[in-house]
Amino acid sequence: MICSLLFYALYPLSRYLTAGRRSEDSQKGLSPAVVHGTAAWDGCAVTTKRFTQSQTTQPDQWLSSSSTAKGKTEEGMKEGSPDKEGDTGMEQNKEQPVAVPHKEPKNGETKMSEEPQSEATKTSEEPQSEATKTSEEPQSEARTTDEEPQSEAKETSEEPQSEAKETSEEPQSEAVKTSKEPQNEAMMTSEVPQGKMEVSMQQNINTKEATDVPSEDINPEQALAAHIKWLQTDASIKETDCPGLEEIQIHTPTHSVEELVISAEERIEQTACSGEQQTQIPSMESETPAVSEVTECWDEYYINPAADEEYDGANSSKLVFCEHSQTHLTISKPCNTQNSLHFPAGLGLAGEIECPLWQFPAGSYYPPLESPESFEVMWRVWQSLPAAEPALIPFPFTKTSLNFTVMSYNVLAQDLLEANEELYIHCPLEVLDWSYRCSLLLEEIFKWAPDILCLQEVQENHYHEQLYPVLCQMGYTCVYKRRTGPKTDGCATCYRSSCFSEVSVSLLEFFRPDTELLNRHNVGIVLLLRPVVTQGSEIKAMGPPLCVGNTHLLFNPRRGDVKLAQLAMMLAEIDSTVKSCKAKGEHCNIVLCGDFNSVPNMPLYQLITTGTLYYRGLPAWMVSGQEDLSFKTHFHRLSVPLWHSCLGITDNCQYSASKNTFENKDQTSGKLHYSHDFMRQLRYCPAACVRPVDLKLIQGVTDNAPDPSLENPSYDTCSRHTLTHCLDLESVYQHVLPGSGAPEVTTVHSEVGATVDYIFYSPRRSSTSAQTACGNFVSEGLELIGSLCLLSEDVLWSMNGLPNHMFPSDHLSLVAKFQLDLNSPAIGKTVGEVGGIDVRG
Amino acid sequence: MNNKFDALKDDDSGDHDQDQGSPKDSEKEKIEDEDKDQNSTRKKMVVPGAGEHPLQYNYTFWYSRRTPGRPASTQSYEQNIKQIGSFASVEQFWRFYSHMIRPGDLTGHSDFHLFKEGIKPMWEDDANKMGGKWIIRLRKGLASRCWENLILAMLGEQFMVGEEICGAVVSVRFQEDIISIWNKTASDQATTARIRDTLRRVLNLPPNTIMEYKTHTDSIKYVQCVTFRRSFLAEIDYANQK
Repeated sequence: MICSLLFYALYPLSRYLTAGRRSEDSQKGLSPAVVHGTAAWDGCAVTTKRFTQSQTTQPDQWLSSSSTAKGKTEEGMKEGSPDKEGDTGMEQNKEQPVAVPHKEPKNGETKMSEEPQSEATKTSEEPQSEATKTSEEPQSEARTTDEEPQSEAKETSEEPQSEAKETSEEPQSEAVKTSKEPQNEAMMTSEVPQGKMEVSMQQNINTKEATDVPSEDINPEQALAAHIKWLQTDASIKETDCPGLEEIQIHTPTHSVEELVISAEERIEQTACSGEQQTQIPSMESETPAVSEVTECWDEYYINPAADEEYDGANSSKLVFCEHSQTHLTISKPCNTQNSLHFPAGLGLAGEIECPLWQFPAGSYYPPLESPESFEVMWRVWQSLPAAEPALIPFPFTKTSLNFTVMSYNVLAQDLLEANEELYIHCPLEVLDWSYRCSLLLEEIFKWAPDILCLQEVQENHYHEQLYPVLCQMGYTCVYKRRTGPKTDGCATCYRSSCFSEVSVSLLEFFRPDTELLNRHNVGIVLLLRPVVTQGSEIKAMGPPLCVGNTHLLFNPRRGDVKLAQLAMMLAEIDSTVKSCKAKGEHCNIVLCGDFNSVPNMPLYQLITTGTLYYRGLPAWMVSGQEDLSFKTHFHRLSVPLWHSCLGITDNCQYSASKNTFENKDQTSGKLHYSHDFMRQLRYCPAACVRPVDLKLIQGVTDNAPDPSLENPSYDTCSRHTLTHCLDLESVYQHVLPGSGAPEVTTVHSEVGATVDYIFYSPRRSSTSAQTACGNFVSEGLELIGSLCLLSEDVLWSMNGLPNHMFPSDHLSLVAKFQLDLNSPAIGKTVGEVGGIDVRG
Repeated sequence: MNNKFDALKDDDSGDHDQDQGSPKDSEKEKIEDEDKDQNSTRKKMVVPGAGEHPLQYNYTFWYSRRTPGRPASTQSYEQNIKQIGSFASVEQFWRFYSHMIRPGDLTGHSDFHLFKEGIKPMWEDDANKMGGKWIIRLRKGLASRCWENLILAMLGEQFMVGEEICGAVVSVRFQEDIISIWNKTASDQATTARIRDTLRRVLNLPPNTIMEYKTHTDSIKYVQCVTFRRSFLAEIDYANQK
């Protein structure tokens, strides 16, 4: 309960801070709250926040919460103990495995070795956020109490313990603290990129640093133990139900617990350095490459006010977690609605919090150990989202889940590069060399080791000669589809054979000679995969089918109509794939990625993410939003209907009845069945508008002329101007860099920098849990649990644009990590035996 | 009323006869000849085009308009009916349909018939002689929509009665329009019931709509009777006029 109370008190506060940090005009005077960040460096760093706030607002937030006052007093009682929150976090972490019927292997090291790249570092940062995460948990459970009385009971039963522990730990909290602080630091920095606001955070190097270092030396075991706990907590990501939380973590190649402390130190050093240089970002060319990279890296962090904060010096507690600006936290949680009174989740708080500039110690902390190569990894920051919904699973049931990563990458075909050299005049020649780019590309793939790899602009000969052999060696099964027409590139979808078995492959050609709208040579690939977890040769578990779409839509910014038609074909194929699964009683998860040549929040994107687009009269250029061509006096507007119904695709982005018709044929006495709707779609197809040669002209009988525009407005009006689809798709990326608020870009060349690549996925909705035949509860949909941060255009130009010596294409790779529930055969296993299975394990 | 409709196939209720003269007859003969030719060739020729959506059966559109001033008889009915064209796919269907005036806009005393290729829209046809039809009378203004719904259901094989369906007819009359669907076996009550239910569904008919089933043999008897009387009266009429 203490934990939960603490959470009640702290959560909004941290939200406030978070929101405030987005503040653009944060340096204007009138802020009711002032945040001072202080950082201590001890090989780790302590960030201290002083939170000055008008006290009245605090109680107000909690008017409707019965535990508010209590939480406040608790807080008050503990004031002056800067480690309190951290301790709470620790205790919560201990509770976690109990509260959640989903337990990790005890050995944190095992877990780490499973995910050498991302998880290891994540764990070192996680605890703080985990703390808050867990502290949020009681609340969510309270609301879903009936579902999980048991775990709650356990939780409460542990409270005294935790409290005891807390107090006992406080005297020697330094040790814990030191191990925690680096994470705090990391979190703190990682919070920065969130909003659009300029962050100016004052981080003072605390004198604590001095004391912290020795204390860690004194108590290393404890710190290590803490790490292990965090590891466990981290691994059980799906447990808590706090969608808003997320951590950004630095991606360092740490492999074991032993290295953790060291790596944390290193990271902090880097962070410190970058902090110093923060003001120099625009002019960082003067720095050594490595340093400037770190500087940018810093930008990707969240900053977490970790150590302690005081309310007018009266209350002190630590703020522990950060959150994403785009989270859907505000949807359901009462506390959030309360928060929204004072802490609007959006950017509105901008002016209320003043965040002075960070001040780091001298650059002596800069880590010279890291080689420039590894900074390549550091450049883009892995950001993981905690996924959780333990309360939904009734206690006796077990759940197995599977994590997999997806990469979408437009690799820039060499032929296209050479055909459009003017786009790459900013590049040194050597980075345009294919063999050089190829090695970087393979390095990138190797580095992130995606389980599913969707490549665009893969040149046919390069694919067969270079990429395919290597990818095969890496354990991928590859499907390649070259574009029709003269262009030599195409799409390739590769999946790790050890994780997925292939159910079906559809290679789509968007070129239709008979349809003017589809006279462009773009292609797509739709795979239906079955996730499998094997142990030896035995299949241990199978997941629900996964439909993976990969496409590269037409570039031409003026032809939004063509893009829409191509997208519709893609969606129709996915839809039919999903339906084929549904026919077998299975839910099919969807990942749709590729280069859509359309920018976020423009009509094409809207259609994908919202499922609806009213397109009548829309200027064709506007569909993609790549360029603003509104200055042109004459531009093509989308007409109705967008494509002829004989394309066989409806305005719902589904195949029209034809396919179903032939399916029906088997079921019903071998007859060809057509619905009215289907036949009416063909009414004005070109073939039907030609007068039959043998039709005699009889005045008043056969002298009618078909007029598509006039006929039958009655039953066509509603559907005809709107494109829809019924796939539930969400973008992995939010298209705005957390912290700076600068737009993310996925491509940069001399003419444009924009987001045009996406990974869309079918998200897990809380209502879609279903009990499977074998008694397990399996939730439908994918849980996004991490992604590789994109960069801003400025940052990329600071690296001399794309491609460069780090990124071999004029696009960046997109990487996302998902979790799905398996139809586990693990019936009868007790809780705790079934844990998360990582694909790569 | 039933009787009236049945008789309408070739009756003359005296609505619009005055404007038609004897020249029509020779013209009609020619058409009939041509139709015969077309029949023989079309049966082999009509196939779905590439990429088109084939229909389960090929169908033929027919058009008939009562020729006034001429004694009604079985033969004159057959001569009076014109073949518009045959089709084998959904697309080909629309080609014809789109170039035809919608039933609601037809003038005079006209019928559109849509029958499976090879079945003549006559009671006497082998496919029809044991059959019957469901009849729905529509007030003016509804025929176009109902006709379209009816034939789409037929072409799309929505009646689910195997080979039973023969064709459909829309008859434009003075005060009302009539649509009907013909099937092969009047005595097959399961089939006729299923057709009736499907009709209600696809035409979206209100529950109180009156639907009549009429066997063709009844129609023939009635019409023969009526025809005899009518032609008798007409002759007397004719004699009187003279």
